[in-house]
Amino acid sequence: MDIAGSLAIVTLAALTHASFQLSVSVLSLLSGHSIGAKQSQAKLLRLTSSFLGGVAIMTILILSFTSLALIDLFGPTAPKAIWSIGCGLLVGIALAVWLFYYRKEKGTSLWIPRDMASYLVKRTKATKISAEAFSLGLSSVVGEILFIIAPLFIAALALIRLSPNWQLIGIGIYTLVSMLPIIAIWILISGGHTIARIQKWREDNKYFLQFIAGAGLIVLSFFVYMNEIITAVAGQI
Amino acid sequence: MALTADIVKSGGKRQTEKFVRDKLKASIIAACRSVRAYEGEAENTADLVCDAVESWLATRPEVTSGDLRIVTSRHLKKYHPEAAYLYEQYRITI
Repeated sequence: MDIAGSLAIVTLAALTHASFQLSVSVLSLLSGHSIGAKQSQAKLLRLTSSFLGGVAIMTILILSFTSLALIDLFGPTAPKAIWSIGCGLLVGIALAVWLFYYRKEKGTSLWIPRDMASYLVKRTKATKISAEAFSLGLSSVVGEILFIIAPLFIAALALIRLSPNWQLIGIGIYTLVSMLPIIAIWILISGGHTIARIQKWREDNKYFLQFIAGAGLIVLSFFVYMNEIITAVAGQI
Repeated sequence: MALTADIVKSGGKRQTEKFVRDKLKASIIAACRSVRAYEGEAENTADLVCDAVESWLATRPEVTSGDLRIVTSRHLKKYHPEAAYLYEQYRITI
């Protein structure tokens, strides 16, 4: 497949990653605590920017590590069986997202390990300096690894067959696109919108967001299956 | 007469503690500030809500922290619905 095709898979994978909500929840809580603790707008911006930095770095690290592991294992062209496993993972996680993603209670609690959720809540409350906000960003990506692993895996498979320069561009595109929702929230908070309105919108639309996240994974799986498996099989006939 | 109600922490994991008005007031002020309410407005709202919660507690020797949160949020809603919403959401955002 050409460069555009691979980057299309990377972008689509990043969009499905973007539909997951843990980092958005943590950013909302962090901003709420920060404003509630009477910190200045400049301090709020420093904390939230550091949080975004942490999310970006951890996304880059996980995607790079997955790509490196796949290159070491299979070289630049992964076998079709691995692509099939990736598609299966996408469908499995899509079903899990549709069934479990939000807990069946008020609010926007997510189906992540409760110990991890409670750790994030405590750390968010305790975050006072930029370095802590940065590490909170790192942790929030790890916290939703169960869901983001499938799009990351597919993006890594698409990246490893590109030249090194295009791999870097692909990693940049993935990171930027996957962070679009938190960048949007960051802009809203910086512009003076209240956290309560943002949280209310998220709560009111949580089932729509859940559906979109699952549907995104299914669409990605279908796209990859058609482009990588069916095309290859048709080419051999 | 000073209140002596015991607050049973959620999940029973932490020790029961005595009700402290200042602690409740600080949390209400923080919720009001989080929705960018003015300082004086936050203080007044917190005082009114604390009074209402204390009169509810007066006849109860022991309540859970969850109940306290619900009652506080119910009273806060009268004065500042946006802050009450955020106060309610604290434990259920992640």
